Amino acid sequence: MFRYFVCFFALTCFSFLGYANDNHSDFREEQNLYGKIYNAPLGIVGNNKVSSVEELYNQKPLIIALVFTRCYGICNPFLLQLSENIKHLQSNSDFNILVISFDPRDNLQDMTNLSKQYGLENNLQWNFAITDSIDAFINSIGFIPKWDSVIKQFDHDALLVGVNEKGLITKNLLGIRIVEDVHKMISSINNVFTPSYRLPTKSNIFSCFNYDPKTQTNRPGLGLLFVALPAIITFLIVTIIVIKSKRTVS
Amino acid sequence: MNIDSLKLKKISALWIIVILVLFIASIVLGILMRLNQGKVIEQSPLTFYTNMTTHGLTMIGIWFAAGMVAVNYLLQRYVKTSYGVNLFAFILTVIGVVMLWVTTYAGKFSTGWTFLYPLPFRDLGSESWSTPLFLISLTILGVGWLVWSVSLMAQIFKKYTLAQAFAWQHFKSNPTVETPPFILITTVTLVGVIASLIAAVIVIVLYFAEYFSHGDFVNDALLMKNLIYFFGHTIANEMLYLGLAVIYEIFGEVSDRPKWKMTWYISLAWNCAMVFILTAFFHHLYMDFVQPQALQIVGQLASYLASIPSAAVTVFSIVAAVYGVKVRWSIVNLLFFLGVAGWVIGGLGAVIDATISNNIMLHNTLWVPAHFHTYNAMGNVLFSIGFFYWFSTQYVDKLVLSKLTKYTLTLLIVGGIGFLMAFYVAGANSIPRRYSTYPVELTSGPYLAKVGALFATIYLIAILIFFYNIAKRCFVILSASSR
Repeated sequence: MFRYFVCFFALTCFSFLGYANDNHSDFREEQNLYGKIYNAPLGIVGNNKVSSVEELYNQKPLIIALVFTRCYGICNPFLLQLSENIKHLQSNSDFNILVISFDPRDNLQDMTNLSKQYGLENNLQWNFAITDSIDAFINSIGFIPKWDSVIKQFDHDALLVGVNEKGLITKNLLGIRIVEDVHKMISSINNVFTPSYRLPTKSNIFSCFNYDPKTQTNRPGLGLLFVALPAIITFLIVTIIVIKSKRTVS
Repeated sequence: MNIDSLKLKKISALWIIVILVLFIASIVLGILMRLNQGKVIEQSPLTFYTNMTTHGLTMIGIWFAAGMVAVNYLLQRYVKTSYGVNLFAFILTVIGVVMLWVTTYAGKFSTGWTFLYPLPFRDLGSESWSTPLFLISLTILGVGWLVWSVSLMAQIFKKYTLAQAFAWQHFKSNPTVETPPFILITTVTLVGVIASLIAAVIVIVLYFAEYFSHGDFVNDALLMKNLIYFFGHTIANEMLYLGLAVIYEIFGEVSDRPKWKMTWYISLAWNCAMVFILTAFFHHLYMDFVQPQALQIVGQLASYLASIPSAAVTVFSIVAAVYGVKVRWSIVNLLFFLGVAGWVIGGLGAVIDATISNNIMLHNTLWVPAHFHTYNAMGNVLFSIGFFYWFSTQYVDKLVLSKLTKYTLTLLIVGGIGFLMAFYVAGANSIPRRYSTYPVELTSGPYLAKVGALFATIYLIAILIFFYNIAKRCFVILSASSR
């Protein structure tokens, strides 16, 4: 009986471990950080010469947005939000933006149409481009679009990649983000240190400090109690041992 | 020889053999890392960090255990200790260490010994099962050591009252009961050990909570770092204090000098050390801008206040014991004497780094491994090897200072100093720590790594000779019968 119990217990534990293993926090934004971006040759809208990613980041740090023109999903709201965010930045001259298609079907005319859709065709800060080395380029970023042959669409993330003047990826932003996040990315690609501390959420209940954005103050959180907990528990253990020892002696 | 005494000797001998075998294996890992940094061999970054994790955790574990073995053995002079708990801790330690090595070598777990959050959850090239197995191995080690520490403390309090165990009666003149310094230092140290192990338990519980919560529960990085250094910094220091307790107990004995008596200043120094050592870990968080400035200042003050009383009193006591008097020098008291010197030098290196204005320059440079290797490799290790020598020769042989012993000691000193100097010079030149290979800009990094590896090999040769001498006597003790 005991053997069966042990086997059952062990099996339960291992299956639980296996299940838990696949579900911990997602750190995809931190993948490929400080890796060198692939220097893909680029065909850029409005630029007759063939350029390259290196030529662009050598001029100014780059924000790269990965899209495709036949996208029915996230690409358009993603680009719209990015262009709005850039407009709202107080200083938006210390970087360039590269919108690159990862769909081999896209050509320069498709990208020209896309740029016109947002009224950015004459904006020198924005570079709408295609490349013939898209696989090597997206591999260096860790961006993996999946082709769905039924709906003829890519299943992909909305990914912004920040690249500094040395061609190193310094920050990734997944999803449609607010202007403050883009601002942090711009600081990052300009090699400005950005202090950051995760704000308390429902899933982060033992925070050492709780930041109040309204008053801009830090208040001690429950986590600070945990720092003192080892000393408190030790004090209790010593007290219990001393009391028990006294009783034994008496 | 009674059965209880023989059982304690046998389990102590077994501990010593296992500790020394693991020590030699860990030194080899350390040399491999320095050779890789020196570009003499080529390891993948994953192999390097796997070695670094195994090296760090094994070293911390075995030298903590070595201190506990020595203290447990000598405590028998004053109180009865539990053989069962000692054996329990041994079995759990062996299981924990085996699991740890499986985690690092089969599972490629490679976060470094501090396993800082969120590294165990990051994909660093390790197997997916390695994180839970790593946490389980730490749990097993922690349970074994916590039960052992609490058991020893309970035995002390069966004989001594709270005030006596902490030697508070010595604050008054002419105390009626004298507390041996060994009892005071052991009690003070066990308090710190228990606190640090409880911090480890909390960290493990929080890691498990996040692991099993499927993203519903996320840890606070600042809290985790505070707790990890509460555990890591405190236990690394407390294991030195375990070694000092041994010195207070047997230095006089092996030197033909009277045993140290308890005085008010010894009592005061160690009571202060107990309080300050529990808050000194804040100096590991100077670079964490979210930590309030007040805690950073507490960290700097506690770092000074924790080291000065115990170090000053111990150095004063040791110098007073040997200055201007005839001392019977043997390998044991020489190792103790050199160990105290290594502890003080490493401690000074630590205090330099714990000063906020210096930490800006030295943080995460090789200065950090320089100072902690000084008070471990040339401090705590010498305390423990001194005890191992004393323990093994006590029943089998006589303590003599032969020519071979002198040569071995010379090798140990030359190897140790050379190996540490390579770290210090590199640290002073801002060579970063924890780099598997150095970029071309850091030209002195590979050269100093090669120098370090060479001298570490000399140190290893000395340790191998010590191991041979100690282990052969321990095997005799293991095969002894009660008749």
